[in-house]
Amino acid sequence: MINLSDAILVLILLSVLISLESNRMMTLVKIMGLQGVMVSLVPLFLEQHQAIGSGGIIFFQIMILIKGLLIPGLLYFAVQRVAIKREVEPLIGYHASLFFGLIMILVSLFITEKLQLTLPGGHSLLLITAITTLGAGLFLMMSRTKAITQVIGYLMLENGIYLIGTALTKQSHTRYVVEFGVLLDVLVGVMIMGIILNNINRAFDDVDTALLGRLKD
Amino acid sequence: MDTLFYALAVILAGGILPLLLYRQFKVMKAAAVIATVVGSMLGLMALTPALQDTGPPTTTWAWQQFLTLTFSIDSLSVFFLVPIFLICPLAALYGFHYMDKSEEAWRIAVNYCCLSLLIVSMVLVVCADSLITFALAWEVMSLTSYFLVVHEFHKKETRAAGYLYFVFAQAGAMCIFAAFGLIYSVTGSFSFDGLDQLSSPLKLAVFILTLLGFGSKAGIFPLHIWLPHAHPAAPSHISAVMSGVMIKMGIYGIFRFYTLLGDTSMLPGQIILAVGMASGVLGVVYALGKHDIKRLLAYHSVENIGIILIGAGLGMIGVATGNATMAIFGFAGSLLHVLNHSIFKSLLFMGAGAVLQKTRTRHVDELGGLIKRMPTTGRTFLVGSISISGLPPFNGFISEFLIYFAAFQGLTLPGISFLFASLAIISLAVIGGLAAACFTKVVGIVFLGEPRSEAAARASEVQASMTLPLLLLAVLCLVIGIFPAPFVELAFFGLRDMAMIGAIEPGTGQVLISNLAFAARLFLGILLGVTLLRRVLYAGKEIASGPTWGCGFTQPNVRMQYTGTSYAMSIVEFFQPFVSIRTVYSGIRRIFPGATTYETRVDDIAEIGMHRYLLQPLVKILDRLRWIQHGHIQLYIGYIVLTIVVLLLVF
Repeated sequence: MINLSDAILVLILLSVLISLESNRMMTLVKIMGLQGVMVSLVPLFLEQHQAIGSGGIIFFQIMILIKGLLIPGLLYFAVQRVAIKREVEPLIGYHASLFFGLIMILVSLFITEKLQLTLPGGHSLLLITAITTLGAGLFLMMSRTKAITQVIGYLMLENGIYLIGTALTKQSHTRYVVEFGVLLDVLVGVMIMGIILNNINRAFDDVDTALLGRLKD
Repeated sequence: MDTLFYALAVILAGGILPLLLYRQFKVMKAAAVIATVVGSMLGLMALTPALQDTGPPTTTWAWQQFLTLTFSIDSLSVFFLVPIFLICPLAALYGFHYMDKSEEAWRIAVNYCCLSLLIVSMVLVVCADSLITFALAWEVMSLTSYFLVVHEFHKKETRAAGYLYFVFAQAGAMCIFAAFGLIYSVTGSFSFDGLDQLSSPLKLAVFILTLLGFGSKAGIFPLHIWLPHAHPAAPSHISAVMSGVMIKMGIYGIFRFYTLLGDTSMLPGQIILAVGMASGVLGVVYALGKHDIKRLLAYHSVENIGIILIGAGLGMIGVATGNATMAIFGFAGSLLHVLNHSIFKSLLFMGAGAVLQKTRTRHVDELGGLIKRMPTTGRTFLVGSISISGLPPFNGFISEFLIYFAAFQGLTLPGISFLFASLAIISLAVIGGLAAACFTKVVGIVFLGEPRSEAAARASEVQASMTLPLLLLAVLCLVIGIFPAPFVELAFFGLRDMAMIGAIEPGTGQVLISNLAFAARLFLGILLGVTLLRRVLYAGKEIASGPTWGCGFTQPNVRMQYTGTSYAMSIVEFFQPFVSIRTVYSGIRRIFPGATTYETRVDDIAEIGMHRYLLQPLVKILDRLRWIQHGHIQLYIGYIVLTIVVLLLVF
């Protein structure tokens, strides 16, 4: 079982790196879908988890549905509808981004060591992945010009936070209720972002956030 | 305490009902007025048990463990509750016909809602018994009064005035909260109890911070800038409430924290007295220089706050030097002036509002002859003018006399206190004289003479709902002037729970008050006697009357009359270094001169100074930092990340 959870973590890390390196919007969205599913699966394959009741099962299913299908689906439509150019348009180049991702892994390793938490077995790897995902999400938000990438970066950030929560707490049913609430917030956030994106697009004929600089006084 | 809360609930209902009923314009206003009046009467009734014994016990109201609000009533609160429950219902009643635009029904409903919230929050400020309660009520008071000021928000100058008021209110609140934070950092609780245990430098710091905060609300001299802008912008009955009652909350704060801190050194008294003298004298000088009737009244608020603070300062010096008589009469005069000012200032603002509603102009030089067209407004305004000038037989005389009495007690003190006391006497005399001069100007220009404009000529008396509050307030002015004893007793009662003052010698007070009452009645008697004598002597003789300032000309012109500017300028010029007068005069250069223009305006040095030495440098510095706001979302996110990282590293 440990190996399986490690495999999932590796997949998440890879998805982070790919998302940093990908130059097509669609690829980015698909990667996010994969990452969402993987992230939702993590708690299931952890060593400590107790028997999950039927309620828990439904929670995880809905979570996978939202993270893996609904949000990426919305993003998919947003990209199709709004983005004329399908290019990601980075401020920082793809290779540099990839390099940043690798450094981020090292930094997370360092942070995890430094924190000296007494984590349950296997969770230290989880924490490293989590912090990397979080940092990469922030990086994605900062280094890409299009508004959609900001949304994607935000989602990645949320995934990271979710993983950190999983790493630091004992598994229990109630925590996922809270997490679920956060997820619904994110969903609504993505919808609102979609509306804003549409408006930005209509106002500027592009979703490049640099254009928003015109709004400052 | 329960009755008081019921009263507040009724007043609050008077604020919420209009929001629901705004489609029926008259019904809405009637509901608001009735609820406010009934609630205020209930409130006054709730005060009667507090007058007898030590007052009801503390009421605590806790929510979710972290927010605990505590209320209690002591004698000082009772005293300050009286003007709130007295003036506010009259203002609401006045608003019934003053707010007469039925197409703005929703806005007027919101106005009534904010007014009731303002009343409730002022009551809560006065009853607050912990720092957090006080802060909460204070903030609600500032915000609701801001919304009341910007009632006519479609006018640009109203928005500017509202913004100015908002800045001053919030900056003041910030100072107060800083003081609270300072207290909390030492005592570790939000209770009022441990304040007298603070070390004396800390006490002084708290005192200065609260003085800045409360001073900006009360309008003491350099912090008064918002008053002359906000009052003309606000509807008149709101000006009456704000000037008559709300700015007194600043005074209440100063009194309350002086009591709580128990700092009996000389310095607070000297500071308060100096600030009071500056506010008093300069307030009235600027009032003389202004010709917008409501702005002029706003400067008179500054002046009267000055008088109140002179009284308080004398009282504090009395406490510091152990002179009990001086302390008691200083504080009592100050408190009584709070009540008196709330009565005659709201009377004056409502009178000005009536003039404004009928003539649509606030400039005194466009009015004139209104006492013939608006007899009730004119006469009650005259009563208010005499009261505010501190002349018998009206109420201003009583409270100013008490302050004078305290100052004369101070003349027996040695050294610097003697100097302060004599300065207080001089400045009180100057203030009184100038205030009388200023109100001869206002009454003379606005109500006497001949109308200077078409609008003034067409003015007529306002409706009953507006004249009734005017009459009631005028009668109150006279009653306090002629029967001062119960009201002075009330002021003494207000001091009961201020422990450091000490008990009053029963003899001195009684004798003084009865002499005072006698003097006032004598004055009234002489006045009536002279009037009667004139009637008798002129009985049966023919009296001819011509136009005012006619001076026997065959074709008198209204431009022959004095203007406000010409009347006041000689006095204002005397105070030249403290008042900046700007004159633009095109001059007469040829033998047959063309059109000539003359313009003069009096500028507030506090406003100029604050603009030049505070605002401009600040804007300059902040302009340099504009590059931080560049409009790139990515870097904004970067700022957030950086902040979080720095915070994580530091803590």
